[in-house]
Amino acid sequence: MSEFLQNLLLGILLGGVYALAAGGLTLIFGVMRVINIAHGAFLILAAFITYSLWDVLGIDPLLAIVITTPIVFALGWLTYKVLVAPIRTAPMASTVLLTFGLALVVEGAMGEIWGNNSTAIRPSYGDESFTIFGLFLPKAQLYGGLVAVLVLAVLWVILTKTWLGRAIRAAAINPSSAELVGIKVTSVAALVFALGIAAAGAGGAITGILYPFVPGSHYQWIARLLAIVVLGGMGSLNGAVLGALLFGIAETMTSAYVSPSWATAVPYAIVFAVLLIRPQGLLGTRMREDTVMA
Amino acid sequence: MSYVSIRRGVTATAAAGVLAAALAACGGDSGGDPDGPIRIGTSLPLTGEFSQPGTAAEEGYQVWREMVNEDGGLLDHDVELVIKDDASSQNTIVSDYNALIAQDRVDLLLGTFSSLLNLPASAVAEKNQMLFVEPAGGSPDMFSRDFRFLFFAQQATSDMQGKVFAEYVAALPEDQRPETAAYPTLDDPFAAPNVAGIQAILEEAGIETVYEETYAIDTRNFDTIVNALKSADPDLVVHGAQFEDGIGLTRSMLKADFTPEMFYETNAPSFGSQYSDGIGAENTEGVFYAVSHSPDADTPGNAEFVTKYEEMYGTAEVPEDAADAYAAGQVLHAAVEAVGDIEDQEAMAEWLRENEVDTILGPLSWNDDGSPTGDFLIGQWQDGKAQIVLPPDAATAEIKPGWKPGGAG
Repeated sequence: MSEFLQNLLLGILLGGVYALAAGGLTLIFGVMRVINIAHGAFLILAAFITYSLWDVLGIDPLLAIVITTPIVFALGWLTYKVLVAPIRTAPMASTVLLTFGLALVVEGAMGEIWGNNSTAIRPSYGDESFTIFGLFLPKAQLYGGLVAVLVLAVLWVILTKTWLGRAIRAAAINPSSAELVGIKVTSVAALVFALGIAAAGAGGAITGILYPFVPGSHYQWIARLLAIVVLGGMGSLNGAVLGALLFGIAETMTSAYVSPSWATAVPYAIVFAVLLIRPQGLLGTRMREDTVMA
Repeated sequence: MSYVSIRRGVTATAAAGVLAAALAACGGDSGGDPDGPIRIGTSLPLTGEFSQPGTAAEEGYQVWREMVNEDGGLLDHDVELVIKDDASSQNTIVSDYNALIAQDRVDLLLGTFSSLLNLPASAVAEKNQMLFVEPAGGSPDMFSRDFRFLFFAQQATSDMQGKVFAEYVAALPEDQRPETAAYPTLDDPFAAPNVAGIQAILEEAGIETVYEETYAIDTRNFDTIVNALKSADPDLVVHGAQFEDGIGLTRSMLKADFTPEMFYETNAPSFGSQYSDGIGAENTEGVFYAVSHSPDADTPGNAEFVTKYEEMYGTAEVPEDAADAYAAGQVLHAAVEAVGDIEDQEAMAEWLRENEVDTILGPLSWNDDGSPTGDFLIGQWQDGKAQIVLPPDAATAEIKPGWKPGGAG
């Protein structure tokens, strides 16, 4: 029983980290209908920035989030204005291609700046754990989970309790009507894109502590994050959290009770199974075009 | 034959003649210029998952090119490298090697990094009957295809790389020998046979296997695997790893406070300071690994290679993959000089099958299938520094028993 609890705990902590990384991706899709393939690259970029702050300036990687997040927020805003805005109304495939190209450019830039060597952020608590009732809780995962809760709570409050959030939701549901009531949809979109990337920035700091990374690590992240967002329902923040937790638990339980060789495959099988029953994902809503297609 | 068909025939013949002349002008050993450089093509994983070893391999090739050119070149021609980036993709590497041969029209080829990429790349070379000396593709699967142009420029295939370590453990006095062992292994054509080779020898010696699992290449979270390892409580852990997973599993072991008496890991510990930075220098104490190259080895040309590497890249800490790439260049160099003609690549392959080549890794020789016939060195981290501990005649330090995380640095 204790082994089951231990694995469940590890799965929840892993899911927390996934939720932090996936939150921004689903936010960007929910408001803008842009599938940001470069999200994983920004995550790794944030990890590299965090590494430099820790290695050169000696700033604790968790505290560095306060610096990293505004930097990647600004990069996200700039990316939107320069690259995404001009093709905002183009078919979704165009933005997929654009952001894929952007991911390659960011990867190349990271290789030039930091090199292609594997990098690890190792604060003193990076390899330590709390032990409670015989169960070990890796400190970095726990802190990562807490940061995830904090960041996602801030995003939730912004989206549901503020005028900005209402403007964002209005722009997402009906951009034309939102324009009519005075919401500048392009500005809202730039802000959402930057917020989404900033969430990836916080995620990058945590994942950089947990796992070693190279510029090319973003491929693995974007595959997982897209699966999580699809599982939860594209555009749903709550869905991303639920999807991330399920994904994390499925991964650890498969590793523990089936085989580690299936640990990265079974969660994707669960995504397929869920989509067969609920094509819109666990907490997603069917879009008007889905209804027409149906 | 009608007028039309005669005209078509003349036109076709003329076109073929022009094409043949054009191809002859483009081909040859130096792009049509008898005094021009010899062009050697390779595609390396400079980006993507294997970018770290791929970059190191490129450095090794560049050092080799520089030293060969300073020494008068290859058959009195300067060497020019044509290097493509396959982005760690099996699909891209096939198109890269096809392009090197058909479009860039390189004179010679050198291999890429990892069995995963050398498997398809060597098939392209074999199809085009071009010599393919590769620095890092030791999977036994590489050499079960009856290829005639493929040669591996390290001492042993991956299933034999841990042999010296396994035989050392098996021969330990009973009170010092581990009773149980665990084998977590990356699903990889290099790591899996490496661990299987060790496991076979240790099981034969009566060391019980208490954990044996393979994990997927995109595994990043090792906490669950380590939780299972901890429950199995082995005396010895033999971890079949590349680099990042080697760091990841070791850090998870530290987090779970799981420190077996003896720890052997493939690949990752041979990455010098990148490894000690990854897990913490203080946690490296006593970790065993197999390695092909030692910067301190007394092999012909090794000191010069290390000096040149330091001059070009600013550090004397030579990555193993750079040394392996350099050795691949040495093997190609020896075959070309022995045959004296880059056109007859079959003769080069025959020469390699029948001769031994002195390299910075030591003397290399090959079986008919291109697999090498030697033994690997065994390294151990001691006091924050990588030492060679086996075989005794190549050792730079005595073996220290036990993995003692927190005990060095």
